Amino acid sequence: MKKMTYAEAIRDGIRQEMKRDSAVYLCGEDVGKFGGCFGVTAGLVDEFPGRVLDTPITETAIIGSAVGAAAVGLRPVAEIMFVDFTGVCMDELFNQAVKMRYMFGGKAKVPLVLKTICGGGVAAAAQHSQCMEAWFTHIPGLKTVMPATPADAKGLMAAAIRDDNPVIYIEHKQLLGLGGDVPEGEYLVPLGKADIKRPGTDVTIVAWSWMVHRALAAAEALAKDGISAEVIDPRTLVPLDKDAILASLAKTHKLVIVHEAVRTSGFGGEIAAVAAEEGFDLLDAPIKRVTAPDTPVPFSPVLEKAFLPDEGKIIQAVKELF
Amino acid sequence: MQLAKENLLAFYQTMVTIRTFENKAAELFAAGKLPGFVHLYIGEEAVATGVCANLTAKDYITSTHRGHGHLIAKGGKVDLMMAELYGKATGYCKGKGGSMHIADVDLGILGANGIVGAGQPIAVGAAFACKYQQNGAIAVCFFGDGASNRGTFHEAMNLASIWKLPVVFVCENNMYGISNCQRDHMNICDISDRAAAYGVPGVTVDGNDVVAVFEAAAEGVKRARQGDGPSLIECKTWRWRGHFEGDPATYKNPEEQKTWLQKDPIPRLAQKIIELGHAGEADLANIADAVKAQVAAAVAFAESSPDPVPADVLTDVYAGQ
Amino acid sequence: MTTVGIVANPASGKDIRRLVAYGTVFDNLEKVNIVRRIILGLAAAGVDKVIYMPDYYGIVPRALEGLSSRDRPLFDTVPADIPLTCTQQDSAAAGAAMRASGAGCIVTLGGDGTNRMVAKGCGDIPLLPVSTGTNNVFPAMLEGTTAGLAAGVVARGLAGGEPVVRRTKKLLVVKDGAPADIALVDAVVLDGAFIGSRAIWDIEPIRQIVLTRCEPHAIGISAIGGQLAPIGPHDDRGLAIELGDAAAAVLAPIAPGVVVPVSYRGYRALAIGEHVPVASTPCVIALDGEREIEVRAGETASIRLTFDGPLVVDARAALTAAAAAGVFRLPAGSPAQT
Repeated sequence: MKKMTYAEAIRDGIRQEMKRDSAVYLCGEDVGKFGGCFGVTAGLVDEFPGRVLDTPITETAIIGSAVGAAAVGLRPVAEIMFVDFTGVCMDELFNQAVKMRYMFGGKAKVPLVLKTICGGGVAAAAQHSQCMEAWFTHIPGLKTVMPATPADAKGLMAAAIRDDNPVIYIEHKQLLGLGGDVPEGEYLVPLGKADIKRPGTDVTIVAWSWMVHRALAAAEALAKDGISAEVIDPRTLVPLDKDAILASLAKTHKLVIVHEAVRTSGFGGEIAAVAAEEGFDLLDAPIKRVTAPDTPVPFSPVLEKAFLPDEGKIIQAVKELF
Repeated sequence: MQLAKENLLAFYQTMVTIRTFENKAAELFAAGKLPGFVHLYIGEEAVATGVCANLTAKDYITSTHRGHGHLIAKGGKVDLMMAELYGKATGYCKGKGGSMHIADVDLGILGANGIVGAGQPIAVGAAFACKYQQNGAIAVCFFGDGASNRGTFHEAMNLASIWKLPVVFVCENNMYGISNCQRDHMNICDISDRAAAYGVPGVTVDGNDVVAVFEAAAEGVKRARQGDGPSLIECKTWRWRGHFEGDPATYKNPEEQKTWLQKDPIPRLAQKIIELGHAGEADLANIADAVKAQVAAAVAFAESSPDPVPADVLTDVYAGQ
Repeated sequence: MTTVGIVANPASGKDIRRLVAYGTVFDNLEKVNIVRRIILGLAAAGVDKVIYMPDYYGIVPRALEGLSSRDRPLFDTVPADIPLTCTQQDSAAAGAAMRASGAGCIVTLGGDGTNRMVAKGCGDIPLLPVSTGTNNVFPAMLEGTTAGLAAGVVARGLAGGEPVVRRTKKLLVVKDGAPADIALVDAVVLDGAFIGSRAIWDIEPIRQIVLTRCEPHAIGISAIGGQLAPIGPHDDRGLAIELGDAAAAVLAPIAPGVVVPVSYRGYRALAIGEHVPVASTPCVIALDGEREIEVRAGETASIRLTFDGPLVVDARAALTAAAAAGVFRLPAGSPAQT
């Protein structure tokens, strides 16, 4: 084990795979000399000459070219600086990357990682703070990965790169400096395997990305009030580890879903539907969702605080079930 | 440019194959045998033929919604294509793609595409892979006049230029983006003029003269293989049919249509072959008959092939499924 | 009524020499801009009417549309009444239409190829050729405004005669006994059977060259002759060169950025009226830089030097003559522009 930040762990995951496979390359805006907008890819340009490429500001061509390169045998890690910018390369992602295999009758594979970052809390306002994961989960053929800890960040990055499908790997700004133990050497976290971040018996809280930590803080506070909350981090939304969620529900019979994304058509709705369809008999209370409201992300720190789900809102939602 | 008899006869065979395939597709569509949309390449055969004659199976192409000609010229098999048009399990895409998504990655065909302009950055990526792997291959991107208005064109040209990638952009200017003629959808007449904005050489050639296309493409391909970067070749041509089968194309000027029909690339080449004494009319008729039989066999193959089974809807979404 | 013609070829400057060599990129927007300057020069020179070649891009209408209202000329600007074929035939037809409508001068924008076509139709209307093509020997690099002023004074008859307007030579290609086409600068016989992408950039298939002028400072085929026996546009002779493997060679700029050794078997001066037979068939004859004529096996062809090419305006001489005559000197009391 080695202490690392989330940012260092992402870099370590990329490094591990670039060392292992010369078909892996990294490209994106300012990922090279500048080391990435948040410093995540710092130094890789020197470690891997010719394999870390600064692109112009050209999201369409970043993902479009990554699709072409992946279809003919490379394994691009293509960065879109903020998830908010994926609108500019959406056709390349949802009509090209993910559909090639199906449209071509299974005769192509597109091992492409779209690396990007989401999330609020830094007063970056409405075009640099969003959580768009629900968009991506609605695209068959794509996998959606959202790590919450340094170890998961490394292992999921490595697994995403090795996957033969397009994967969107969404980091969170709030987590970049988070420290934690990360396995040294080759480390992979399989896609589609949830992690119980805190075991508990009275209520299941499903949360991902930054919200895992807010859920953990809430669980800590709830424990003092005698409520034992189990915090499940699916880690990947597609594929979704339904079994882990249902197994937890079998124990707690109560479900609270927390996500930073806005409420309507958020991925929480999907998890609630899974629970209702496949775990109806396990539930003994209504399902609760703690989410951002259906508004753009505001700029003012005061407004943004009101917008974001937090420990207090989670605690309140849980307590409404008891 | 010295073209041997074999080259010219190969051009002829390819162009006639495309024409025959497309005429058959039109007939089958009209008879209600083909589901979905079909966009035909009739009249533009010289472009795909002249360009692809410079490529090997290791080179890549990206195609368009009007892709049958590119596929045939790059070596695609007409029986698998026809079965795909029918939506059969034996088709190129097992019936999951249809006319607009036929691909043969092993032949370097990275797919027809239902999104106008989408092939441009994909070709750039394939060209990047060729350069990255130093495998000597190149990519060719076919696209139309309409697609040169897309943002993909701008981003693809720019990236290809700054990374000096081995890609040839081949613009098939057939003068129409669906119902809009070129003068209504752009304020320039030569799309090759756009190349200068990216520091890329751009040329315009007669897209109904297979030899002119071949010569220009040979130079673009040579440039790409030598590591000298991308080029843009605009081939002026004409879409004989409507945008899709069933479109009566009432927006076209009948006089213009008449003029262009007289520039049919196939008789132009045939006449040349005969003049040069490479073949007689009977020889060319034999080629055409053989092609006709091949296309008829493709139809028979398609019609006798099984449909996909309903369970197939769920396969091929993810690799390693 | 003083009329000036404008033939601006939208297709010049696009050919394959941008790919195989380093040919000038001349987009049509710049041609529009040059035409604006020409029009304003013509207006200042007192021209009454402009007749122009219509084209698919609309170079002249766009030029007019883009002029600021302050600069709009008061003269009529009308398209030549020709069927628009969007081929080089339009230039020849426009030249003929301008001749028929009594133009006093025709300003051409293009390369050698454009002028060759206009010359087929314009008869003895003097040409003022402005270079916007690729291999340009015939037209000069001229600023549009002064080209317009020069064309205006010639058309108005305020300057004329030698050295302002001079006769040039031409080459007449005769195929199976009948005149087939002309060239203003060079006719080149190549091995091969295809017109294809038209331009010439490779010396290897060239067998014979016939030149009206041999200019060491020119770009293109004329430069080869320039290295062997310089001949000016007004000298009463031309040159025939036979190429092929031989000990003798010169280095010549045959296309933009393409300076290559050219081996030749021999060359000889041509007298006016002399024929050069095409040595072997099948072959292709390129005229002023572009492959134009296919000569099939069994056909015969020859190239003849004549001294009845188009009249050409020397803009510098025209404006020098105009200055000497005080054409642009304003009467006392005229409002000075500030």
